[in-house]
Amino acid sequence: MITVRQAPAYLAVQDLGWPVGRGLGLPPGGAMDRSALQTANLLLGNAAGAAALEWAIGAGTLAFEAPTRLALAGAGGDARLGGSDAPPFTVLEARAGDELRVERLRSGAWLYVCLCGGVSVPPILGSRSTLLTAGFGGHGGRLLRDDDRLPTGRVPDRAPAPGLALPAELRPADEGPIRILAGPQRARFPDSAWDALLAGEYRIAAGSRMGYRLDGPPLAVPGLGDLPSEAAVPGAVQVPPDGLPIALMPDGPTIGGYAKLAVVLAEDVDRLAQRVPGAPVRFEALTLGEAHAHLRAARARLEALTTWVERARR
Amino acid sequence: MSRPAPAILPLGESALTIAIGDRVDPGLNAWTRAIRDAIDRASLPGVREVIAAYATVTVFYDPLAADTGHLASALGEIARGVEPPPAAAPTRLHRVPVRYDGQDLEAVAGRTGLSVQEVIARHAERTYTVYCLGFVPGFAYLGELDAALALPRREAPRRRVPAGSVAIAGRQTGVYPYETPGGWHLLGHTDLVAFDPAREPPALFAPGDAVRFEPVA
Repeated sequence: MITVRQAPAYLAVQDLGWPVGRGLGLPPGGAMDRSALQTANLLLGNAAGAAALEWAIGAGTLAFEAPTRLALAGAGGDARLGGSDAPPFTVLEARAGDELRVERLRSGAWLYVCLCGGVSVPPILGSRSTLLTAGFGGHGGRLLRDDDRLPTGRVPDRAPAPGLALPAELRPADEGPIRILAGPQRARFPDSAWDALLAGEYRIAAGSRMGYRLDGPPLAVPGLGDLPSEAAVPGAVQVPPDGLPIALMPDGPTIGGYAKLAVVLAEDVDRLAQRVPGAPVRFEALTLGEAHAHLRAARARLEALTTWVERARR
Repeated sequence: MSRPAPAILPLGESALTIAIGDRVDPGLNAWTRAIRDAIDRASLPGVREVIAAYATVTVFYDPLAADTGHLASALGEIARGVEPPPAAAPTRLHRVPVRYDGQDLEAVAGRTGLSVQEVIARHAERTYTVYCLGFVPGFAYLGELDAALALPRREAPRRRVPAGSVAIAGRQTGVYPYETPGGWHLLGHTDLVAFDPAREPPALFAPGDAVRFEPVA
């Protein structure tokens, strides 16, 4: 059992969300940075999609009633556990009564506190994620508050030993531009819009779990007025009439009427999600074949990570 | 009869959108659902979920479990083989009680040149079809709204539209299942719960259902 001693402005239970349900209007939801969540879970010997605490915007404190193994991933911050430094991607052990204190997030937007055994709130429609727009899932469908208590699940057999740190090459990296594919309405835009998206430097103007609004060179959007709404996905780069792109995020609409000039690779939605307002964003176009090669490499990294953790436990 | 293959375009690296048409039309929408059902029945390997919108079908799949080129040809074949369905009676009719006390009722009357009573009468006199679900869980896009009530979305969307709001925009109407931001014009309110994760199925409305709004005091 863990207790929220002091809740940061945003603290919620998230896993990998709802793999299906788009037909009901249910968004994929779940962790904004899925690779961070999966990496820390696998390091702990958990299933990759075990529910964790997603933390953003400011300081907070969690208290552990019983000895608990945990790992941090995602945004970097000044984190201390029981008074000692708590580095990311490292198996940490909280003793009974210890507190995890995060003073502030220095880099990135979303910090994951993964616990051995996961956070064991009841699943709703197959996920433990919190869908704030609909007020269900996670802990009562809401953000966590001071004094909330959360149960942890069954600890995996032979959990990795405290101190085990993941080598750099097995951690998610944020290098290079954000990779995109041409979106389904790419051909309806003039080439100048596509060229401007690739050449321009954008900045995050504002962000939420539903979408990130970008600021930069406005994109041309001729003749696209009355497109009937069609399926949208996280990473879809929509261009509303003002020409400033919006990248959809995991809680975004499942159906949208704005033209989609591009779609960010799933893996890079994680990287984009970690950009805070004001942070620069550059895009690079890939072919579908290249995107699939990256997806294969991303899955291979998670498999290599699982193998590495298995070996380290022996 | 052989039709040209529809355009099939990637929506990111693990979804394909099949464009059946590019307008809001009840017949096109019914055809879209028939194609969705045919793809569902085919149980193609690697396919996770198939959804129909107004005039598109989107297939979510695992590109490492299914070759995209093969999947796209299989989808094109299936889509070509589905005839536009004859106008069929909807499977279900929902009666939605509405208190017509929405914040925009007077403004809608003003902008359409109708009286408030006429706005209510025209909204409540039609039987609508659920074109698709989306935006947020359980939000049903319903059409076709009386042309006399058609207004573009509000210039500035509201930050908070109350849950249960019955609203209109363009030739469409719908019920907001949750308090969300929204740009539609609010005509009234219903107590019906459009989405409840504890219910089976969780969504009150399904694409193809018929819906009538009934004024209550």
